[in-house]
Amino acid sequence: MPGGLTVLFEPRSGPGFALELRLPVGAAHDPLGQEGTAALVEEWLHKGAGERDARALADAFDDLGLRRGGGVNHESTRFGIGGLSADFSRALQLLADTVRRPLLPKEELPTLLDLARQDLEGLADSPPDRLAVALRGRAFGAPYAHPASGTPGGLTAITPASARAWWRRHYGGRGAVLTVVGELREAEVFAQAGAAFGTWDGGGGELPEVSFHADFVAHEEGESQQTHLSALFSGVSPTEADWLAFHVALGALSGGSASRLFQEVREERGLAYSVSASASVTGGRGFAWAYAGSTPERAGETLSVLLGEFERLSAGIGEGEFERARAQLLTATVFGAESARGRASALARDWLSLGRVRLPAELRAELRALTRPHVNDFLARRPFTEAAVMTLGPAPLALPTLRSAHVPA
Amino acid sequence: MSRPEVQGRVRRATLPNGLTVLGEFDGHAETVALGYFVRSGARDELPQELGASHFIEHLLFKGSDRTSGRDLNLRLDALGASVNAFTSEETTVYHAACLPEAWAELLFLLTELMRPAFRDEDVEVERGVILEEIAMYADDPSSRTFDELHARAWGAHPLGHLVLGTPQTVANLTPERLRANFEARYAAGSVSLVASGLFDWDALLREADALTRGWPGGAFQRALSPHAFPRGVHVLPGPDLARANVALLAPGLRADHPHREAAVVLADILGGDNGRLYWSLVDSGLADSVDLSHVEFEEVGAFEGAWSCDPERAAPTLEIARAEFARVQEGSVTDAEVARARKKLAVSVALRAETPYARLFTLGMDHLYLGRTPSVTESVAAFERVSRRDVEALLAARPFDALTVVAHGPLAADLRATLKP
Repeated sequence: MPGGLTVLFEPRSGPGFALELRLPVGAAHDPLGQEGTAALVEEWLHKGAGERDARALADAFDDLGLRRGGGVNHESTRFGIGGLSADFSRALQLLADTVRRPLLPKEELPTLLDLARQDLEGLADSPPDRLAVALRGRAFGAPYAHPASGTPGGLTAITPASARAWWRRHYGGRGAVLTVVGELREAEVFAQAGAAFGTWDGGGGELPEVSFHADFVAHEEGESQQTHLSALFSGVSPTEADWLAFHVALGALSGGSASRLFQEVREERGLAYSVSASASVTGGRGFAWAYAGSTPERAGETLSVLLGEFERLSAGIGEGEFERARAQLLTATVFGAESARGRASALARDWLSLGRVRLPAELRAELRALTRPHVNDFLARRPFTEAAVMTLGPAPLALPTLRSAHVPA
Repeated sequence: MSRPEVQGRVRRATLPNGLTVLGEFDGHAETVALGYFVRSGARDELPQELGASHFIEHLLFKGSDRTSGRDLNLRLDALGASVNAFTSEETTVYHAACLPEAWAELLFLLTELMRPAFRDEDVEVERGVILEEIAMYADDPSSRTFDELHARAWGAHPLGHLVLGTPQTVANLTPERLRANFEARYAAGSVSLVASGLFDWDALLREADALTRGWPGGAFQRALSPHAFPRGVHVLPGPDLARANVALLAPGLRADHPHREAAVVLADILGGDNGRLYWSLVDSGLADSVDLSHVEFEEVGAFEGAWSCDPERAAPTLEIARAEFARVQEGSVTDAEVARARKKLAVSVALRAETPYARLFTLGMDHLYLGRTPSVTESVAAFERVSRRDVEALLAARPFDALTVVAHGPLAADLRATLKP
């Protein structure tokens, strides 16, 4: 589009369409001292747009039965809509009103700030959320250290003028992508996207670098039934050549019921109900987050097994493990593309992180070309040795001695 | 086996042992979803054995006499299949999806799952996992609030049974009692195999017949009983919490009630994203979220809702919610509200049918609760037909006069007096 927005369309049969508008700005672009701005602005947009006040806007979406989703993380702001194909054009107009012509009524801001304050206080009542916030705060430097919902001090400093200025500066077509999936005519999709967003210019923002501080074990006091454990390791980003090898390795560690963590923590020892490790991207860098919850008397063993399994990965994975992890990623490419909503989201994510789109078949070909030696070479080169570890519960755990951690045969 | 019935795209047959096989073919699908839907859940347990259904669900993944749990897991993972299970008050469902070429192996493994060995050592390890699961939910204020709400609202009615059980009942369940529960409630006549997506019906039926031939016949008979929810306001102390969680329940309609769609529309008008409670509680900033939904069981249903707020707002927000309930009961529902809610629900039904995996649950649950499987078009039409008059007919019974309420948080001891029933 002339203003800078990229529009991607993938046709598919079915009664519905899905679209996603993804802007390359989020909580990492919160002004220093006004943390929470990006999430607040996204809420503020819904308080009226174009000719409609807040209720009329919500009614207009509902009149078409549109399903809305979205949210704000550190790297992006997402608006998702699903509906019947016949309503695509009107849905697009409503979305354009929302992001380009919001009323941003200043009398609504105190209420929204108070709701954000309530949201933050609610995190304190959930031990796993509190743990995630605490670990993020300690492992990442600014502007990735605060939760997307902000900080108490940051919220207090946000004003109608500062939030409005942030919207003006960061909302726009530059660097943003609109993805559309459904049984629609290509020419019509681009014509309507042009009418709604063609001249939408400005916006965007450079993604700040992330600093990561590993190699600590910290504890938060909490009156919880379980001791909640989390570990954060440096990983691989989607732009690196090792991206798929990293995913296969994490699959062997935590991808299915036969994976190492599930077997060693849950199936063999019954130490936890919930144990997992997954890939994530923060500030363009890749990470592996692990989580488990165990009652206090067993939590020490859980942490020891969990960290031991990460360490043991550097010795490589077996042929069966490799095949199973790869099979799961291969079928995931099919499942992921099955729903229009999932596909619209995957297209938008690829565009922002890679600057291009991967077809499921292309991803499958790359996976089939991957070999176990490649994965094991990656694991030898980049072992999971440095971790940021945090626990939350009634008492700190005795520090695990990694070298003596259980190593299964 | 019985001659297969054909209803739209759905075929259904009953095997000689009583197992129902039901499938909906979709030639455009790229995957196939399979599930065993068991008409058995927490409500069918003895009070001293709470958690038995859920324990059994866990133990099915520990393998059969001829296949170890480890082998089952290895083979399921090798398919790249997505496999899981859940237990509710009335059902236990084992479900999976895979690529079409792997369907036979997946069916074999799912069926193998259904013949658990109940090995002593597996029961002990899994007991630990379940006690951790109970502890995990005990750390979640919203779960605690709903457990208390259900205890208060259902009293001694079996629909109030805790699905996970209590640490005490789970500690006491022996392999023998688990096996006895399994044998009583997993007879072939209580189980339905459901398939959705890209598969061959004849081959499915043939394989299912061969794999389940040894299953004992018969079916578990569930005792149904009517229930009147007791009105009341209760405080569950939570002195260490930052926020108050308020949850409430009011009588609704049973799953196969001819007007259950109207009840779902009403729940959306009150508690949807753009519902009355949103505007009075969240848009005003008094609560940070609110929802209300309609839950359905065999002989009874309920409206269930919840929000969280600053502790000092627990009483005022409850008063506001009650005022909203009173307003809808006084005949203030508009045609426009009904039209919006039914359109949203109709579109959501249509879009949910998009993947075989999502469709599997609709098929299985409709089969269990309605004894038939409406097409997507029929389900959409059922919502499109709902009129203001239908909603008003529900409200004429004044369901929201009989609220059961639980507030959980750092609430003053005298709050109960403020929160008048």
